[in-house]
Amino acid sequence: MNIPTDSLCELVIPISYGSTAVIETGKWGFQKPDTNLLTAPCQEACPAGINIPEVLYFISEGRKDEALFSMLMENPFPGACGRACFHPCEANCIRAQYDESVSIQALEKYVSDRASVQIEKIQPIANESAKRIAVVGGGPSGLSCAYFLSLLGHRVTIFEAKREPGGVLRWGVPEYRLPKSILRKEIRRILSLPIEMKTGVRVGRDIPFEDLDHFDAIFLSPGAGLNPSLGIEGEGLKKVWKGGEFLERINSKEKVILGKETLVVGGGNTAIDVARSALRLGSQVTLAYRRTRNEMPAIRDEIHEAEEEGVRFEFLVQPVKIHPGKKKRLAVKFQRMKLGGPDATGRSRALPVKGEFLTLETDGLITAVGERVELAWVPKPFVKNDLIGLNPSPRVFAGGDAVDQPRTIVTAIAAGKKAAISMDLSLRGNSDKALLSRIRAGKKGSLSMASYLSMREGEKWLEPKGVATYQQMNPIYFKASHRVKIRKRSRAKSLKKFSEVNMGLRPEEARLSAQRCFSCGTCNYCYNCYFFCPEGAVSLDPFLKTRTVDFDHCKGCGTCAKACPRAVVEMR
Amino acid sequence: MRDLREGLPESRGGDEIKSVWFVLLCCRAEVITGLSEEIAMKEFMTGNHAVAHAVVLCRTPLIAAYPITPQTAIYEKLSEWEASGILKGIMMRTESEHSAMASCIAASLTGVRTFTATSSQGLALMHEMLHFAAGCRTPVVMANVNRLLAAPWGFWADQLDSLSQRDTGWIQFYCENGQEALDSVIQAYKIAEQVYLPAMVSLEAFFVSHFMEPVDVPEQEEVDRFLPAIHLPHKFDIEKPGFLVPVVSSELYRKYRHMAQTSMDSVKEVALRADLEFKEIFGRGYGIVETVMMDDAEVVIVTAGSITSTARVAVKILREKGYRVGLLKIRLFRPFPAEALQKALGGKRKIAVIDRNNSMGSGGIFCQELRAALVHSPDRPVTFSYIAGIGGTDVTPEVIQKIVFDAMGRDEPEEKPIWVMEE
Amino acid sequence: MASSVQELNLLRPGHAACAGCGLAIGMKLVLEVMGPRTVAVIVPSCEGAIGGVYPNTSYGVPTFHSAFEIAAPTAAGIANGLKIQGRDDIQVLAFAGDGGTFDIGLQSLSGVAKNNDDILYVCLDNEAYMNTGIQVSSATPSYAWTNTTPEGNPRRKKNIMEIMAAHYNPYSATATIGYPRDLQQKITKAKGIRGTKFIHLLVPCPTGWRTPSDISPELSILAVETNVFPLYEVEEGRKYTINHEPRRLPVQAYLLKQGRFKHLGEEQIRQVQRDVDEEWEKLKHRASLQG
Repeated sequence: MNIPTDSLCELVIPISYGSTAVIETGKWGFQKPDTNLLTAPCQEACPAGINIPEVLYFISEGRKDEALFSMLMENPFPGACGRACFHPCEANCIRAQYDESVSIQALEKYVSDRASVQIEKIQPIANESAKRIAVVGGGPSGLSCAYFLSLLGHRVTIFEAKREPGGVLRWGVPEYRLPKSILRKEIRRILSLPIEMKTGVRVGRDIPFEDLDHFDAIFLSPGAGLNPSLGIEGEGLKKVWKGGEFLERINSKEKVILGKETLVVGGGNTAIDVARSALRLGSQVTLAYRRTRNEMPAIRDEIHEAEEEGVRFEFLVQPVKIHPGKKKRLAVKFQRMKLGGPDATGRSRALPVKGEFLTLETDGLITAVGERVELAWVPKPFVKNDLIGLNPSPRVFAGGDAVDQPRTIVTAIAAGKKAAISMDLSLRGNSDKALLSRIRAGKKGSLSMASYLSMREGEKWLEPKGVATYQQMNPIYFKASHRVKIRKRSRAKSLKKFSEVNMGLRPEEARLSAQRCFSCGTCNYCYNCYFFCPEGAVSLDPFLKTRTVDFDHCKGCGTCAKACPRAVVEMR
Repeated sequence: MRDLREGLPESRGGDEIKSVWFVLLCCRAEVITGLSEEIAMKEFMTGNHAVAHAVVLCRTPLIAAYPITPQTAIYEKLSEWEASGILKGIMMRTESEHSAMASCIAASLTGVRTFTATSSQGLALMHEMLHFAAGCRTPVVMANVNRLLAAPWGFWADQLDSLSQRDTGWIQFYCENGQEALDSVIQAYKIAEQVYLPAMVSLEAFFVSHFMEPVDVPEQEEVDRFLPAIHLPHKFDIEKPGFLVPVVSSELYRKYRHMAQTSMDSVKEVALRADLEFKEIFGRGYGIVETVMMDDAEVVIVTAGSITSTARVAVKILREKGYRVGLLKIRLFRPFPAEALQKALGGKRKIAVIDRNNSMGSGGIFCQELRAALVHSPDRPVTFSYIAGIGGTDVTPEVIQKIVFDAMGRDEPEEKPIWVMEE
Repeated sequence: MASSVQELNLLRPGHAACAGCGLAIGMKLVLEVMGPRTVAVIVPSCEGAIGGVYPNTSYGVPTFHSAFEIAAPTAAGIANGLKIQGRDDIQVLAFAGDGGTFDIGLQSLSGVAKNNDDILYVCLDNEAYMNTGIQVSSATPSYAWTNTTPEGNPRRKKNIMEIMAAHYNPYSATATIGYPRDLQQKITKAKGIRGTKFIHLLVPCPTGWRTPSDISPELSILAVETNVFPLYEVEEGRKYTINHEPRRLPVQAYLLKQGRFKHLGEEQIRQVQRDVDEEWEKLKHRASLQG
């Protein structure tokens, strides 16, 4: 009489206790879903190749430390870039084609300020063939190169001419845009890696270039420290300053006294930095630029903020002469200009309007018209057209302001990273240039350190991912929304001192902003494929970062691929 | 502890069915609370009220019902007792008989005792669910007040409503009076819960449902002694989720139908044992068929339901006049007690079956069943079929005497049933 | 949000739903929130096909395959049976299709709602008798093709939510698979309410709607964003709350993706738009009455 209760039930009525899972309904289908990760255009546009969708996913999940870790994988300066970068990521954000781009830069700043990741998490990989490498110039490019080389296990020595490292971030960008405390934190993080920092050592002056010969490789990243002159009459007068020197004095906490009115000449970021700094020193500022607002190379938001703070603009004027004015003032004569056809870079040319001039009186004049690099100390074969070649010899590489590339912070960082990877490849006896193309994030030349590390380990050099397009997205899954308006310190308050203008995102604003990310081509665990699988055949683990499909039961309906808003799932 | 095999019928369904009972009996729970003194007493009452008493005495916690004349008094009385707390349970006032049966089946599958009552059109509306109740092997108990089926409309006694449901897999009892209705409901639970089949207790409209008679309402303790707590092996279990009554293969359908049939076959013995046990406790018993003055009977009247009472009088009169007449009452109709009838009627010369029902195109249903049961008996009697009392028309002792005389005057049975009409 | 998803396979794989079945998605999402302490009732419909043939089943909770027209009283019977036994920890869930709800089961559902028996009733509305091969039901929308309306359905879809609201039951809500979190929140809310809860769950049917197998969630979203199927809830028959502000796309965006509407002329589309606009205004008005 040992009849189990179950059988007893079934002696009365049929009860199914088995699972239909034994039925392989997967055989019905002729196509199956596959994961097809793509590079997002923002990551492609970021010269540093930050995996922005991944970072924003972590933020939206409240996983700030992982977000910072992801950024640090590609860029040692998230705090600086979250403030002073020209953020091409946002210009290329796919969401801009739907409503408004995602506030990527603000989120970068948010994470770098709020995350608490310890440097212990970022450790050099074991490298049995560690080499010694010299880095000349401790600006963003040199520090970046040293950082990545160090992560790759090499021993680096940095030669910095000034008394502190940081380059333009330290001496150029004013406090209100990039607080020095933030910069110091980031440099400290870099230097906690096994890097030797030699400050106050200018190669070519304090030590000869040949002293670097005993290093296995050399990275040259001298900054653009030379302030060029306008080449006009009266430049030698008192109260005529050069922009770079002016900013360096402020950043050195020297006392700078300006008159009631200041005239700034230039249209780049330095000019805007100068103008806004001058405002903070209590002067009324007029910025004179030879083209119009549209042609100004400065960051849009910076121009806007400068205007909001009270900087006046005088467009289509070029200074031709400075002479002393009444009451110790200066009189600056400007040639009126007009816009002509585009030049080689696509920008409209500035052409003089014959016979039309303008004279402005001012208490002081600051010129900010582009800096140059001093290269006298660099061996001749490396220099061409007043710049160093990016890769002048198998063991010498260059980056930053000294090479032919846009002079921005992030391109400098990217050049440092690229040199670090190239050196590592070369020092490993792998001179195959093609390998660099395998670790690209997109097609614009940004390199992914994450890809390099994973491919280097297994020596599996896979083709890089394709780049996501708006057409591949399924916008039905997105609700139109606006960017969060970032809080700024009031004009009155911010003009009183050099405290940071941009107050950053609150946690809830950051979460909402991050959630706006389409996460193009990157799974952000929205769970659509899980929710919408009629078979319950999809499993996701956001922590193990796995997405698995039970092919025994997937009928190949294609719903998961179609319902993936970001083109990660593809039917094959 | 009592012998676990007590009340266990001789199984014809093999060991597996025996095991069901065995485990069931092992798992018997003790009955719980006492019942209010108020209803545990002798009363002058209608058949409907007698049924309501039985339901409460059986501690049925779930009743689902819908009103229909002449069943309403059962529904109302139980509602009243629910409101006053005498009935400890839930009265589901459903929007139809169909839903009432659906709810009873479902509740039964959670493991509770259930009850419903209906009549005529209501029973017809339930038809689909009657099959379902039997197929789910749910021991739902129902009282059906036999009322004619429309059209034309009427409210009077007629057994066609329940007899039309003879193929649905329900155990069916036909009661002569209120006392028997009360007792049969109690017995019905006892039987249904042993064989996992639903049971219907029929009482005719007005003649039983509304006729007031003295009824001995048993003591609660005695009913508790007779009727153990329900325990069903097949029910919902969140610890071991199963899908109850899925789609099955042809072979499996046949297997489960055959198992149900085996259980149904066992009912005759289970019912007899239950009746014997009932008699021990309550002093009353009915059997599954009852015979009256059969020993030397030349003509045996066969009845079911309230006509039996009238026939008892008619037989007495005829006996006094010197006619050798007997009476056989069919109480259990499903399963049909063929063996008991063969035994009781073997060797008799003539049988007159009185049917208060008519299967159009065939005839009286009790008679059909009886003839089929006797067809292989070597000494089978000649069977005459009388349709009487259709639509609640009176069947008086005189009508029954006429039937007996008619049967006496015939040698061969008519092909068609004989309709008894008043002049 | 994402990490709160419990991966409970209460609708097991290997079931026999068509590829891309919206109904299976709906059942899966509902069962996931209901959890294992649930007894479910299904009725003859695609749910039966999904349930599987003996001895295997796709249902991971105890489930009873009842008859077509009685999902509600069956569930109510179970709920009361469990209540009698003190099993207040188990919820009873009834699944029925649109035929089993709008048509043949309407009366019994009404009876249960009137008694306010403690069940959650989920109407899986795929807008026709799909299991029997696409025949018109009173949930079939205007002009839709079915095998029994080869020229298009001449009548409008029955407003089941208003019928339910007229019972003053504690909670009724519309939901659809394209908004899984909204659906699951509503199930969670319903679980916390005693009485008869009703979810009108729109589930696209690739087979019957004549659509590709991969766009059921998308159609579901379009039904909402065109206002063909607004997401809202009704409490106690009085308090209306609109849960989602639709994008108010033109109805074409929804209709023209489906083969069952491919024969529609311009005037018919305009009529659908008028009907949709009118219903939306009515709904907004009702929602405005309780602030």
